[in-house]
Parts: sequence; C-alpha cells; structure tokens
Amino acid sequence: MLKWIRWSGLLGFAAVVALLAAFFLLAAGPLVKMAIEGVGSSAAGAKVNVDDVSLSLSPLGFELRHLTVANADKPMENLLEFESAVATVDLGPLLMGNGIIDELSVNTLRFNTARTTSGALEKSASSASGGDGAKQEPGMAEELISQLPSAEEILARESLQTEAAGKAFTETFDRRQQQLDSALNNVPDEAALKQYQAEITALTTEKITSLEDFNQRKQRLEVLREQFKADKKALNTAKDLIGETRVEVTQRLQDLKAAPGEDLASIRDKYQLNAQGAANLSGLLFGSQTGEWATQALYWYEKIKPYLASDNSDEEPEYQRPDGRYIHFPTSNPWPEFLIRHTAISAETDAGDLAISGTDLTHQQAVLGRPARIDIDGAGLNKVEALQLNIVIDHRQAVGRDTLTLAVTDWQLDSVNLGLGDAQLESAMGQLQGMAQITSGEGRDQLSSRLEGQFGQATFNSSGQTLFAKELALALASVEQFTIDARANGDLISPSLEFGSDIDQQLSAAFNQRLREQQDKLEATLQSKLDDKISEYAGPYADDLQALNNADGKVTDKLAQLEDMARAELDDYVAQQKQEAKDEASAKANEEASKLKEQAKDKLKSLF
Amino acid sequence: MLSMLANLLKALNSETSPWQISLAVCLSLVVALTPFWGLHNLLVLLLVLLIRTNIAGFLFGLALFSLAAMLVDPLSVRLGESLLANPALIDFWTALYQSDFWRLMGFNHTLTLGGFVIAVVSMAPLFVVMQVLIKQYRSRVMTWVSKLKIVQALKASKFYSIYQAVAE
Repeated sequence: MLKWIRWSGLLGFAAVVALLAAFFLLAAGPLVKMAIEGVGSSAAGAKVNVDDVSLSLSPLGFELRHLTVANADKPMENLLEFESAVATVDLGPLLMGNGIIDELSVNTLRFNTARTTSGALEKSASSASGGDGAKQEPGMAEELISQLPSAEEILARESLQTEAAGKAFTETFDRRQQQLDSALNNVPDEAALKQYQAEITALTTEKITSLEDFNQRKQRLEVLREQFKADKKALNTAKDLIGETRVEVTQRLQDLKAAPGEDLASIRDKYQLNAQGAANLSGLLFGSQTGEWATQALYWYEKIKPYLASDNSDEEPEYQRPDGRYIHFPTSNPWPEFLIRHTAISAETDAGDLAISGTDLTHQQAVLGRPARIDIDGAGLNKVEALQLNIVIDHRQAVGRDTLTLAVTDWQLDSVNLGLGDAQLESAMGQLQGMAQITSGEGRDQLSSRLEGQFGQATFNSSGQTLFAKELALALASVEQFTIDARANGDLISPSLEFGSDIDQQLSAAFNQRLREQQDKLEATLQSKLDDKISEYAGPYADDLQALNNADGKVTDKLAQLEDMARAELDDYVAQQKQEAKDEASAKANEEASKLKEQAKDKLKSLF
Repeated sequence: MLSMLANLLKALNSETSPWQISLAVCLSLVVALTPFWGLHNLLVLLLVLLIRTNIAGFLFGLALFSLAAMLVDPLSVRLGESLLANPALIDFWTALYQSDFWRLMGFNHTLTLGGFVIAVVSMAPLFVVMQVLIKQYRSRVMTWVSKLKIVQALKASKFYSIYQAVAE
C-alpha cells in the first residue's frame, strides 16, 4: 500500500500551498488597498485614499488606517473620512472569492471635512467647481419672492403652447396660401368673363343669316360651353379649398387664442404662484432645511442603492452563461459575494456624536434572505435630546421596499428667521416623527413619506417697523404651540411636496395678501406678454384672413355669374329662333288673311 | 511541449506501470472539465502528487482534455443545472450546502458539478481503455514502431536528444 505513496509529492504539495499562502499574506494588504481605492473612486466619482491596509491573522482581518472619500462636487472637501477601521473576515468564503466581513468597526467617522489636495479625478478635474460659496440668507419671504422668476425668465424657460400654436398657425396659413394661389390661377378673371359675355352676346343677338351661320354659331357655343365647364370646375376647386382653408385657419387661430390661458394656468401651477401655497409658513420654516436634508439623503441613497439592490441574476431560471453559476440553498450561514454582517461606526457631526450600526449589508439580499438594516442613534446632541433613525433596505424581491423611520425628541429650535417682517421664531421645543418608504421596481422609484412635528413653548419676536411687521408680530404673539405635517409623495426624483401647519391658518391672511399682490403683478405681466405673442403671430395675418373671405365671396359670385351666363345665352338663342319662327308664321298668316280678305272683297263686288 | 511529450513517451516505453499513467490521465480529466481555479482541484493535485501517478501523463491529459472541455463545457453546465435543480436531489444538496467543506468544493456551481460528474463517469471506461492501449502499445506497437524508418529518422532529430536526456 505504502509503495503507492509518493512522499516527495506530499512535500511538493505542501510547498505549493505554502507558496500560495505566502503570496496571500504579503499581497493581501496592498491588493485590498488597491481594490478600495479603485472601486471606491469609480463609485464616488472622486478620489478615495487609504493610508495603509494591514492584514491580521488571528482573527483573520484587515485594518484600514485613515480613509478619505473626496466630494466629487467639491474636490477640496471630503464627503467622509475616518481614522481607522477594523474588519474581521471569514476565511472559508474568502477562499471562494466571497468577501464576508463578520464585524466592521469604524472609528471617528467625519463628514464634509477639508482636504489639503484636490480630490477630483483626472477626468472630472476640469468640471469641478470647488467653491463653497457661503450663502447669505436673506429673509425667507424676500428670498421666496426674489426667487420667483421674472415673466421674461419664465417665458424664456418654459416650452409655451402659445409659441407652438403660433408656429402652427403660421405654418398652416403659409401652406394654405400657396395652395390657394395655385388654385386661383386657374380661375377666369374679370377680363376673361367680360370677353365671354361679349362673345356670347355677339353669337346670340346678331341675326342668323343662314343655316350654315346657325351651325357655326352652335359649334362656337358648344366650345364655349366646354370652356365654361372647365372654368366651373376650377372655380369649384378654388371654392372648396377656400372653405377648407378657412376652417383650418380658424381652428389654428382658436388654438392660438386659447394657448396663453393654458400656458398661464400651467405656469401658475408649476411655479405655485397661488398665494395659499406660497403662504405656507411651515414650508418657510422647514422647507429649505428639509429640502437640504432630502437632497443629502437622496444623494446617499442613490450612491448606496446600486450596491444594496438585490442581484436577481441568481434567480434566472434559464441558463445563459457558459461559465456556469452558483445555485444557493437554504442555510443559516449563507455566503453572498459580499456581506458585512455587522458594522459599528462612531461618527462626529456638527450636531454631535452619532452611533451608526448596520447589519446584513449586501448586494445579494436574495442569497442572504434578510434585508439590510441601518440604525443611527444620537443622544445628547447639541440641539436634540435624542435622535433615532432606522432604515431597512429590502431588495429580496424584484420590487424593493426601503423604509425609514425617524424620531426626534426635544429638538430645541432657536432664532429661526421667518423672513416675514423681520420676525423670528425665538425658541420652541419640537418633537418629530417621520416615516418614508421607497418602492423600486421596473419603473421609476416611488416615494411615500410623511413627517409630523409638534412644537411647544414657542416664542416669537419681531423688530420690524412696517405695518405688516407689526401686524405679524401681534398675530405671532398669540401662538404658543403649533404642529407641522409634511408629505412628499410620488416620483423619488421629483416628489410632490405638501406642507401643512396650523400656524399657517393663523398667519396666512396676513401673508397671503402680500404674495397675492406679487402674484397678480406677475400674472398681469405674463398675460400682457402672452397677448403680445398672439399679436406677433396673428397680427400680420389679419388682413390676409379678410382677403381670404373676400376671395371666397368673389369666387362664389363668379361661379354664379358664369352659370347664369351659360344658361341665359343658350336660352336667349332658343328664344330668338322661336321668336323668328313665330314672327314668320305670323307674317305668313297675316299675308294669307289679307289675300283671303282681298279675294272675299272681290267676290262680294262681283255679287253686287 | 516537446519535453512533456518526451516524458510521456519515456513513461510509455519504460517499466512505469500502466495504471500510473492511466490514473494520471483520468485525474487530469477532472481538472480539465471543471473550473481550474477551484479548491477541489487542489485535492486532485494532492492526489496526483501523493499517489505515484505519472505526472507527465497528467499534464499531457490536462492539455488534451482542456481542448475537449471547450466542447463539453456547455453540456457540463446544463447537466449541473439540471442536477442542482432536480427536486429529488434538493434535500441532498441542501444538506451538503450546510457544510463549509462542500461549499468550498464548489458543488453548487453548475459547471463544477456538471464537469465533475462527466469526468467521474468517464473515468472508469477511460481507465480501462488506457490500460488496454498502453499494454497493446508496449506488446505490439513499440517494437514495430522502433523499426520504422521515420522513427529512425526521428532518432537523429533534436526531439530524440531531448527524449534521451529525459530518459537518462
């Protein structure tokens, strides 16, 4: 039995394995560093740097020191950085090429920190703007009003129906005009009609001298009759065309006249010029800040989503790839290609320190069978007693459902500028509860969210000296507590926002008037500009339209005249022949009567 | 390549046992028909090195069957797919899946499983055929071949000098 064994072969095998292990130990750190910087940079669109990555054997893991992720929009700023991170890795899955991190702890995570060198990637360096641009915050109402675009800006920016209707009207009119010109060229003019009249008169009124003369006149009349038929056809064609032109041009003109109204309604809706919408004080109070938060949240969601979305390729029933694929079975210890079982992050923010924990973070949730979960907790923050944010990212099915719940306890607001008559919310204590759900399937991501807030111990002050400011101060003095109710629903990228608050009802009357004036002013200007546009398109064609109507009348007259002419002249000719026959018969009869009379007289004379 | 062929000829012409060559070629079939960078192949390599198989035969078989694998791979994948999806075997695969060892072997990979099954099924007949062929070669062909003029000519070539160097 032992003679089958080649002991030197065993040594050779051990040598091969040792060589592979040595390579792994020496190259793992630099390879991981390269992978983090390479993959991270392409994902973030900016430089990702790691000072050092070292490998530890017991437990098997990596330690990262000082990682920075630059902000693609602001290259001199980091989106985030941390001092160190320690990850423990499962060896078994790693041998299969699956990166499963049992525990990842990140220390001193910071956001929006300054960089000493640009973090722009080579290709995006030219497009980077770089400036922070600390913004002066004017009063919110003034800012709101100043943000309202001018009528000229709106008209230049919007795709107006008036513009389109005007172009359609112009195009229709020009096209029909060409067709009409062509058709009217075939219609006999006044001179031709007079010539017909003269010729027919000559043929029918002058005395017929012989049978040959009669036949020649008859033939000429037949020729004229054929000519009349052709002219009549041309006239009918022209008349039909004029009718169609009039209908179409009239329709286009009606469209043009209706377009400004529709444009105005559309613009009013889009820019929310209605006073009620603009007077929404909760929007003024929290809209700007909420918008900023929402922008940040959406930024991170879009960044993270591709890596957390379920890779459903494993569930494809039909085999397509020649390389084969892994089929997974139920287990209590699944091995997705990448997984962070648990992570704990301590983050330092302007608001205070946050504890962030994540579990089951993977892009193959279908393999793992559990959704990813991220919890953010803050206690004793600068202005918030307690903050709890729980995010569940569930992409196990084709339709993903990501939910977020938020609870803020004892949020101390102070010196919030209302932007109305120099009024300030001096202080208030708020409680916030929020919930959001994002559904992502084959179509666009849909957002359904609601944020409710209760604010008490509210004190306002106003130093404004205008009548409006004084009235506002009086109104605010009676407000001690208020609630807000904000909703964002619809398409994730551009959800419809609704802000509601009972404070609005108390103050809207005062604020409403001010914005209504602005609205009326803007609407009047818009109406005037749109009227100008109508004149621009329809004005030069007014005379042409009148001419068109006149041409229609003339053609109709000509047609009737031609028809009468043809019928009358033939009638005249037949009547002439009849009259001549009648006259001849009468003359003959008279002659016969005279003869008979003379004969009778002669006979009578002979008798007497 | 010439050295490898010379090694194989040396083994064929030597006193190396036919089973050593046959087993080496059969084991190469597993490596050739399954993904190369799999941990299961480390076990095959251990077998090849530990058992007194003919390494030249293994390498030659690996080169030969790797070419054949290009044709067989689609079939292997389909076979693996159907085996792993077979309702009668689901419990068996699920039980294996609970073990880290079997998962490291990549049994749940369609190409690995399909290629492995084809290789294992082919092993027994291939082993027998190889045994017969080697014995026939040694008893009948080897003497006859050595008398051929072309072989005489080859003996004067570079290839033969390599063969000689290997044989010594």
